[in-house]
Amino acid sequence: MIDFDLDPALELLRETARRFGAERLRPRERESEAARAVGAPNLAAAAEIGLAAAAWPESLGGAALGALGRAVVLEELAAADPGAALALDPLGPAVHALAELGGEPALRTHAGPLIGRPGARAWLAWNGDGRVTLRGGRADGRLPWVPADRLDLLVLLDRDAAAVVEADGLPLAPLRGAGLRAAGASEVVLAGAPVRAWWVHPRGARRALARARLDLAALLVGVARAAAELSRAYALQRVAFGRPIAHHQALAFLIADMASAVDGARLLVHDAALRLDAEEDADGACAAAFVEAAEQALFVTPNALQILGGHGFVQDYPIEKWMREARALSLLHGGVDAAREDAGRALVASDAPLALAGTAPR
Amino acid sequence: MNLALEDALCNRLARIRALGAARIRPVGLEADRAGAPLPPDHPFFAELVRLGLGRTRWLGGEDPDDAGPTTTEARRERSERDEETRGERGSPSFTGVVLAEELAYWDRGVAVAFPGPGLGEPPILAMGTPEQKQRFLGPFRAPDRPRWGSFAMTEPGAGSDVAAIRTACRRDGADWVLDGDKSFAANASRADWIVVFATCDPALGRAGHRAFVVERGTPGLGDFRIERKMGLEAYESTSFTLRGCRVPAANLLGGEERQSGRAGFKGAMQSFNATRPMIGAMAVGIGRAALDETLAFARSHDRLGDPRVRDRLERSRRKLQAARLLCWRAAWLADQQRPNVLEASMAKAVAPQAAFEAAALGMELLGEEGGRGDHLIEKLFRDVKAMDIVEGTGQIQRVLMARQLVGLPRD
Ligand SMILES: Cc1cc2nc3c(=O)[nH]c(=O)nc-3n(C[C@H](O)[C@H](O)[C@H](O)COP(=O)(O)OP(=O)(O)OC[C@H]3O[C@@H](n4cnc5c(N)ncnc54)[C@H](O)[C@@H]3O)c2cc1C
Repeated sequence: MIDFDLDPALELLRETARRFGAERLRPRERESEAARAVGAPNLAAAAEIGLAAAAWPESLGGAALGALGRAVVLEELAAADPGAALALDPLGPAVHALAELGGEPALRTHAGPLIGRPGARAWLAWNGDGRVTLRGGRADGRLPWVPADRLDLLVLLDRDAAAVVEADGLPLAPLRGAGLRAAGASEVVLAGAPVRAWWVHPRGARRALARARLDLAALLVGVARAAAELSRAYALQRVAFGRPIAHHQALAFLIADMASAVDGARLLVHDAALRLDAEEDADGACAAAFVEAAEQALFVTPNALQILGGHGFVQDYPIEKWMREARALSLLHGGVDAAREDAGRALVASDAPLALAGTAPR
Repeated sequence: MNLALEDALCNRLARIRALGAARIRPVGLEADRAGAPLPPDHPFFAELVRLGLGRTRWLGGEDPDDAGPTTTEARRERSERDEETRGERGSPSFTGVVLAEELAYWDRGVAVAFPGPGLGEPPILAMGTPEQKQRFLGPFRAPDRPRWGSFAMTEPGAGSDVAAIRTACRRDGADWVLDGDKSFAANASRADWIVVFATCDPALGRAGHRAFVVERGTPGLGDFRIERKMGLEAYESTSFTLRGCRVPAANLLGGEERQSGRAGFKGAMQSFNATRPMIGAMAVGIGRAALDETLAFARSHDRLGDPRVRDRLERSRRKLQAARLLCWRAAWLADQQRPNVLEASMAKAVAPQAAFEAAALGMELLGEEGGRGDHLIEKLFRDVKAMDIVEGTGQIQRVLMARQLVGLPRD
């Protein structure tokens, strides 16, 4: 039967993540931004609750709640603090490449040691444009921006393959970062860094990229939702020309359109996640969900700022931060334009572009 | 969470698809070329009735077995049909939305021209007494011939602002007398009856509204004029007048007691909550048709290698898929008997724009081939615009959403 409700386990997870975000992350959002880190008590609490672990396989001590579970957690955390959402996940998107290309042994060898290591960070860097060359077991090149101040694991992903690069001793040059500073921000220069493992597996590489894009999409939905909610509440308080600004139709309609933007993007994310969890071919759906989430987040966040007027432009409210972070998130893993291209190719390759058949287990 | 369609529903879709390709789309093009609605005696309508279509959703009476079959043969048939519609009884709105999208994919105008009680059915279901349901929907349970019902709210002077209708009703002995002008009513001139909204006192606004079932041939009902439209030619949108039109009290929907207060208006508005996701889904269907045709055209003209073309097709697909999910969600909520005012309006606000964009893109890629005026995409481009107008314009959906979201006052 068709069902738009989350299963009870996921609903509980969502509630937990939402409460954690509202009570522990949002109040310290600016503090974390300035400190370029989430405080140790919150890191420990998130690990204790198992937020990042929700979607990990059981072999890593995860709850195996799948792509949908992961999307739900990421949206909730990003709705509180998108940078913290990255900082709280020790494996980050690297887990997708390890699982899809290297399987269980790769997870055990490369991901296992990070679990339980306080503040550990892993990153999946997109190398589809060949910015890093891999030759003779060494990696050379430059990653202009990695949202981390430390790296315990670095995985490079391109169209066909993934490589684990020795992270120990990698020089990280701190950057200001356009956003997501709670996760840190660094330039990483690879000068002959040893490659510890390498897998060629085009199908796995596509799926890893799809999952990484879906992570970004869920995060973007979270930011957009937070901005829509905050600006709606503000518009009910702020009075101009004798009534709450929300009751001027120009803003009332904008607020309505922002709500549609968030819900539509979320439904595409959940639809793509269900397809992944049902082992369907979901590359196009994940890419499209990322593009839609990015497009809608870039509609919602600047308009939310606009609703706050000058107060949106200053840092007393988090809106300006969210606008920067929506933009920053959509630059990762090859960016929106590449995703659009992949979604377009997937569309024209299929005979039934909008086939009615749904998805997910019967 | 599950967004997979059940096999039984997929089978019904496959049947619509077959009928759509063989009959619905061709008769839609026929009407478009003729620039006139399909006449009531068009053989297609009789064919639909023979296929068991054009019926009411009303099950008849309290006991679903009241018209129970007696022969083994009939019982077997019935249990097969029950099996097929099992899901539907649990989720009538969702099923309706999925089927409506597919019908509109083949031709939205023809879908509205289908025999059946049409938009007149929801207010009768919502407000009618058991006797009224029996009288007006009963003949649609197993119709002997194509029959239509109709719904007339809109007037030349009042569309979005439904509270401003001026068609007057006044009690006169055992009857009511109606006077006024109605416009845009689908299938009105061929209908067995029209659900007409009137006011007994314009000063009362919505509280003054009453809904009547006006039967064909009632003296004073007349001046039917079929509008010439930009698209959706297959069905008639008809204006008519009521001049001293005398209607028996038994035709006042819900009877005297249900109609006091705002029940009349509420009944009409409730039916819109149910049909909005459906209109959204129909828009998705038109948009999907445009996208498929555009893809086929682009493929046959070697345009799919152009990333600009792919990008824009991809955008259209994505917007339509999001719109579809919004429609599905709104309908599913209705089936769960959960509030869906915000979600229904959202679906209705979003889908027509996505669909218009798909059709407009198709025209652009067609270029001068589209300018000729004889391509299916050109017809879809004309058809689709109405979806942002009927049953509450895009602006009205946003007003309704804003009432939910920020308590926008009704001034
Ligand atoms: C093909 C077709 C079929 C139809 N079928 C039927 C039918 O079967 N039965 C029936 O009763 N009616 C039917 N209608 C009528 C339809 O419901 C009305 O056209 C619709 O409700 C809009 O009303 P209007 O045309 O009078 O426009 P108006 O209400 O005059 O609106 C004009 C413009 O003003 C905008 N507007 C109005 N109020 C506001 C506001 N508060 N805030 C912002 N903007 C506003 C509208 O969005 C619109 O853009 C049909 C119409 C069409 C085109």
